[in-house]
Amino acid sequence: MDKKTVTTISYLSRLKIDPEKEEKITSDLENIIKFVDQLNDAETSDIEPLTNPLEKTAKTRTDQVTAKNLKKELLEIGPSSNEDYFLVPRVVE
Amino acid sequence: MTVKYKTIKEIKKMISQKEISHKEIIQDVYKLVKENANLNAFITLNEEKSLKKAEDFDNNRSDCSLAGIPIAQKDLFCTKGLRTTCGSKILDNFIPPYTATVIENLENAGCISIGKTNMDEFAMGSSNETSYFGNVHNPWGDNLVPGGSSGGSASAIAAGIVPAASGTDTGGSIRQPASLCGITGIKPTYGRVSRWGMIAFASSLDQAGPMARTAEDCALLLNEMCSHDIKDTTSLDNEIPNFEDNLNNSLKGKKIGVVKDLDLSSLDKGVIEIYENSLKEFVSMGAELVDVSLPNLALSVPTYYVVAPAECSSNLSRFDGVKFGRRSKNPKNLEELYVQTRSEGFGDEVKRRILIGSYVLSAGYYDAYYKKAQQVRRLIKQDFDEAFLNVDVIMTPTTRGPAFDIGSKGSDPIQMYLEDLFTISANLAGLPAMSLPNGNIDNKPIGLQIIGNFLDESSVLNFGHMYQTKTNWHMFSPEGVIQ
Repeated sequence: MDKKTVTTISYLSRLKIDPEKEEKITSDLENIIKFVDQLNDAETSDIEPLTNPLEKTAKTRTDQVTAKNLKKELLEIGPSSNEDYFLVPRVVE
Repeated sequence: MTVKYKTIKEIKKMISQKEISHKEIIQDVYKLVKENANLNAFITLNEEKSLKKAEDFDNNRSDCSLAGIPIAQKDLFCTKGLRTTCGSKILDNFIPPYTATVIENLENAGCISIGKTNMDEFAMGSSNETSYFGNVHNPWGDNLVPGGSSGGSASAIAAGIVPAASGTDTGGSIRQPASLCGITGIKPTYGRVSRWGMIAFASSLDQAGPMARTAEDCALLLNEMCSHDIKDTTSLDNEIPNFEDNLNNSLKGKKIGVVKDLDLSSLDKGVIEIYENSLKEFVSMGAELVDVSLPNLALSVPTYYVVAPAECSSNLSRFDGVKFGRRSKNPKNLEELYVQTRSEGFGDEVKRRILIGSYVLSAGYYDAYYKKAQQVRRLIKQDFDEAFLNVDVIMTPTTRGPAFDIGSKGSDPIQMYLEDLFTISANLAGLPAMSLPNGNIDNKPIGLQIIGNFLDESSVLNFGHMYQTKTNWHMFSPEGVIQ
C-alpha cells in the first residue's frame, strides 16, 4: 500500500483524502491489508466462494406495479430539483 | 407509577390491570429520555405522534399483541416523515418518504416508536465513537462505551428508558452492545427479517433483530418482526414459528457445543470464569456439554474485513448528493459534487472501509482478497454445518471483556475490529445468535452468546429464557438489582 495506490482507490471511491490525514490512512490501510493476509493460511483450492448464506438465486415475482408513484415526495427531498428532475451542475457545455 | 426498567411482559400486565394509561406510559418514557439526556442515546424524538398514538389506544382498546409498548428504533431504519440519519452527516437532513417493513410490522402490532437511537455511522463501529452525533454513553459508568453499532438502543434499554428497541447486526452490532450494556438481544437467521427500508451496509450479512431486557421479550418482538417480504429478494418464506410458545421447553438431554479451538488467551480472566459458570448452570438444568471444532473461526475477523468493506463500498456509492441527503455547496462540476459531498459527509471509519472495499474489489486484487474471503466464508459455514450435526446450540462468551473507556482503544482500527471476534462468524454463516447477561466484572455486565442452527431461533430463545428463569443477571441495572 503506497501513496499511488491510495490515490487510485480514493479516486475509485470518489473520496478526497485530507492531505494531513494521508499518512495515517495509508498506514491504517496497509495494516488492515496485512491483517487480512492471514486468509492465505487457509487451503481453499477446491472451495466454491460463498456469496450469501442462503445460496439461493434471487426470487422473481410477477411484473406488477405495486409501488405508489412518489415522484413529488422524492423530488422534494432532493437537494436540488424542479418539478420533473433532480438538478446537478451542467455536464455538457 | 413508572415504566422504568419494566419488561414488555410487565408493561402489558400494567395496562391490562389498568394500573397505568397508555398516555401515562409514553409521558413517563419521555420524562426518562430527558432525565437521561446525558447518555446521548437518541438522535431524533417522535413525541407528538407517540402521545397521539397512545391517546388513541386509551380511547379505543386494541387487541394487538404489543399495543402501546414503547420502542426505540435504531436510526438505520427508514421511518416515513421522521428523520433517519444512520448516524451520518451525509443524511443529517434525510426524511424518508416510506417506512421499513420491520418497523411497519412492529407498529402494526401496536408498538409506539418513541424515537430514533444513536449509532455508529452507517453501523460501522463497535463503540459508538464513530457517530456524527457524538458518543453514546453506557449507563453503567461515566466514561464507558455502550458498544456498537446499536449502542443507543442498548443504552436506552439498560437505563430503563424503554423496554425494547430495534437493532441491526452485521458483525455483532446487536450482541456486542447487548453484552456491554447488560441486556438481551438476538440476531435472527439471515433472511428471517425483511431488510427493505433498512439502510444497507453489507447486504449479505445485515440482519435486524430485537433488543430487550429478557429472552422472553425478544421472543414477543421477534414474533412481530419476522415476515416474508416480496420487496426483499433475500427474505425467507419459511414458516415462522410462534417463538413465545416455544419457550419453557426442558433442556434435559439438549446438547450445548463448546468450541474447543477457541483461543481464550486474549480474554479478560473474569470472562472465562463467568462463561464456565454459565455452562455449569445449563448442565444443572439437564443439558450436556459436547466439544465441537470450528477450526476456521480464527479467520472470521479477516474474512469479515474483506467481505463487509467490499459490500459497503458498493452500497454506499448511492450517497452522492444527487437524490437525497446532504449536498456539498457550490461544486464546480458533477465530479466535484460527488467527491466533495462524500468527502464532507462521511466520517473517517466509513471512508476507511469504502477504501478497503474499493481496493479488494479492484482489478488484480479481486481473486486474492474478495474471492479468497468468500472461499474461507464457506469453510466457516461448513464448520458450523458439521458442528450442528451433533449439538442443539453453541455457546461462547459474547465479548472479550466488559465495556471499555471511551477513547481507550486508541487509533488502531484493528484493535476495535477484534472486539467482534466471537460474534462475526454467525453473520458469515447466516445463523441466529443471541447475547444475554451472565455476569458482572467490576460492576460492569458481560454477556453469553448462544448460537443456533439455521432457522432455529426457537432453541436459542428457549435456552436463554430457561437460563433467565434460573439466574437474575438480566435483573441487574446500573442502580442495582431491579425489584
